[in-house]
Amino acid sequence: MATVEAWQPAPSLPPPRTETGWIGWAKANLFGNWLSGLVTVVTVPIILWAVWSMVSWLVGPADWTVITSRPQQYAIGLYPTEHAWRPLIGWLLVSILFGMAAAMWGGAARRIAIGYGVVTVLLGVLPYGMFHEGVVMPWWVRAFILGNLLTLGIGYLLGSNAKTARPRNFVLGGIAIYVLLLLILNGIPGVPGMEEVAPRKWGGLMLNLILAVSGIFFAFPIGILLALGRRSSLPVVKVLCVVFIEVFRGVPLITLLFMSQVLVPLALPANFPVDSVTRAAIVITLFSAAYTAENIRGGLQGLHPGQAEAARALGLPGWQVTMLIQLPQAIRNVIPAIVGQFIALFKDTSLVYIVGMLDILEMGRSIVQGNVQFTDNGRENLIFVAVVFWLFTYTMSYASRRVERRLGVGRR
Amino acid sequence: MRLSLTYQGIPIWRHSRILSWTAQIVSGILVVAAVAFFLSNVSSAMVQRDIPFGFSFLNREYSTPISEHLLPYEESDTFAYAFLVAATNTLMVSVVGVILATMLGIIVGAVQLSGNWVISKVATVYVEVFRNVPLLVQLIFWYILLLGLPPVREGIILFNAIYLNNNAGLSFPWPEGQQRPGLWLLCVVLAIALGIVTKMLLERREERTGRPSCPWLGAIGVVIAGSFVAWLVWVAIGDAPYVMSVPEPAGRFGHPVGGYTISIELTALLVGLIIYTAAFIAEIVRGGLQSVSRGQGEASRSLGLGTMQTLRFVTFPQALRVIVPPMISQYLNLTKNSSLALAIGYADLTSVAKTMTQTAPAVTIFLIIMGIYLLYSLTYSLIGNLYNRHIQFTGG
Repeated sequence: MATVEAWQPAPSLPPPRTETGWIGWAKANLFGNWLSGLVTVVTVPIILWAVWSMVSWLVGPADWTVITSRPQQYAIGLYPTEHAWRPLIGWLLVSILFGMAAAMWGGAARRIAIGYGVVTVLLGVLPYGMFHEGVVMPWWVRAFILGNLLTLGIGYLLGSNAKTARPRNFVLGGIAIYVLLLLILNGIPGVPGMEEVAPRKWGGLMLNLILAVSGIFFAFPIGILLALGRRSSLPVVKVLCVVFIEVFRGVPLITLLFMSQVLVPLALPANFPVDSVTRAAIVITLFSAAYTAENIRGGLQGLHPGQAEAARALGLPGWQVTMLIQLPQAIRNVIPAIVGQFIALFKDTSLVYIVGMLDILEMGRSIVQGNVQFTDNGRENLIFVAVVFWLFTYTMSYASRRVERRLGVGRR
Repeated sequence: MRLSLTYQGIPIWRHSRILSWTAQIVSGILVVAAVAFFLSNVSSAMVQRDIPFGFSFLNREYSTPISEHLLPYEESDTFAYAFLVAATNTLMVSVVGVILATMLGIIVGAVQLSGNWVISKVATVYVEVFRNVPLLVQLIFWYILLLGLPPVREGIILFNAIYLNNNAGLSFPWPEGQQRPGLWLLCVVLAIALGIVTKMLLERREERTGRPSCPWLGAIGVVIAGSFVAWLVWVAIGDAPYVMSVPEPAGRFGHPVGGYTISIELTALLVGLIIYTAAFIAEIVRGGLQSVSRGQGEASRSLGLGTMQTLRFVTFPQALRVIVPPMISQYLNLTKNSSLALAIGYADLTSVAKTMTQTAPAVTIFLIIMGIYLLYSLTYSLIGNLYNRHIQFTGG
């Protein structure tokens, strides 16, 4: 009896060399058809040339002393030098939040915190001056900067501890740190070393960040109220909200900032002085709130009416239908739009030069214009400012993409 | 019986109609009170500090130069006319910017989706860089870059016709009216009207007979042929209606003569606005094209439509519905962002208004320009929403 051997298929051949590996990749992505091949052949040399000439300018003729000799002014503007430790303390506090977020949410938050730590270390060890040209940065400033690693670690421990790692604690801690930071920067009357430093002396990147965070902080609740008001069935409330939103969205921020300088001081009682920074912050916040309101309204409109109907059928009172059913879903659906709005808000803080504030952009411009040796370094200055803005905005949009993925927006 | 006795109706403080009326009256009173409070403060402060208010200055002579203007302008013109000149400048920046930014944005957005890795990455880098840096930084950057250029004869010269330099700005060829250009333009308008009629007729024919009649091709052909025939008539009578005027450096400083010249301020403003807005438009276009499900294209291909036909009749009309609403808000943003011209010194509405405040009441001036910007915004929204309604899916 002949044994019947089971038929064995021959081992399959490896795919042709030209379809796998980098050759296959190049064939598919660079030379897919004759047009694509032509485009590759034409553009690659142009790109290489452009990158080469840019890099050779950056490392060659470009003179970066305008930045390395005045980091303090880019960071905090004309905030008095003898009080420079106060913003540094504020920075230490903010690092706690980064550490806590990294431990609590992992993923993108952790990656952002790692990048933050790396940048901090670089700022702490890179050689540059501080106050003026040729003045070496004092050791204690570097110690403060590197101290951020410590507070980052403290935040991480707080975020890892099951008792403290609660979103509510994070939010409350964030608010506490925000208030404390403003208090430290502004000074506490009567406490030695904490003399008042009026907000109009704040400047640099610090001012941009404070304006942006304050704007985000207040624009969000105001925007929610406006969105609800615009959808309200009460005609008076609705008309008021519509007029507010359309006026603030219909005019440029610059004209509103001008108005805050000429009209608002007149509109307030004489014994109620508000400095120009606060006025600018209020205008920026209201401007942003009008846009946020439209985003949230979009989210509310996108909800299926069945959600609210079901909630009412279950006996929830009206405010609970809004707060517990509609708003959470609407906000989740428009997170990308809201983050986009907040990025725009951060970019718009560069307009405060209108009211005479020295934010990072205006500070850099006045350094270039005010010093004869730097008159040709306008480009270096602007590239540096652009990179700083870009780092923050890109990080925000990265975080928003990750949050979106986590909440499953668009996948339900 | 007992039930009806104990039932007392909804308590008055929980009756929804009463509640809503109370809320409205209270909020209305609050707002009116706040407005009255602020207005009384404003008026008393104005009286106390002797701040001028009112619109009487509008008939006064402005007597300040406006560096660049589309409409003819003399220093002896009134404030009201100066507002008009400045508003026209802003409108011009807005229209030119919108058209060019849309073109650039669509190209970049389409390139991002192309199969070629190199150019799609270049497009992505472009979008991520220019979208995330404040426009003000970019405008100042372009401005100092242009300021760093050499004067006319050593500046950038393309095809001996386009000059870019630091003293004259950007000069380019421009048609110059020769013999009755207005009458010829009228003929072109007539040809366009004829073209629209042709398109309608051809469309009707296509619907009736089912034979492809290319209504767009026919319409464009009629317009071109009509304008060309009119041109020939002009040439036969004597002179062409327009001649192309090419700029040429003249004199000791080489200021270009002929063609059309715009200042470096306007060039920097337009370049900055277009590059910034196009980055946002590219993202909108990319998102819109990606939002059309792949099955749509596959189905249309399997029905025998070609690549271009699929794009034209299936993918693009559906993508347009997603693209148009955010695109309108980008156009609005561009118009409002043109107010940053103030930072680089182009005479747009905002910077003229800023100069005016030195000789006229500031509050009134800013109220007026806010009104003009609102008018622009509402006009754009209106046109956009009408078009949007036209292309939305009606279920028919």
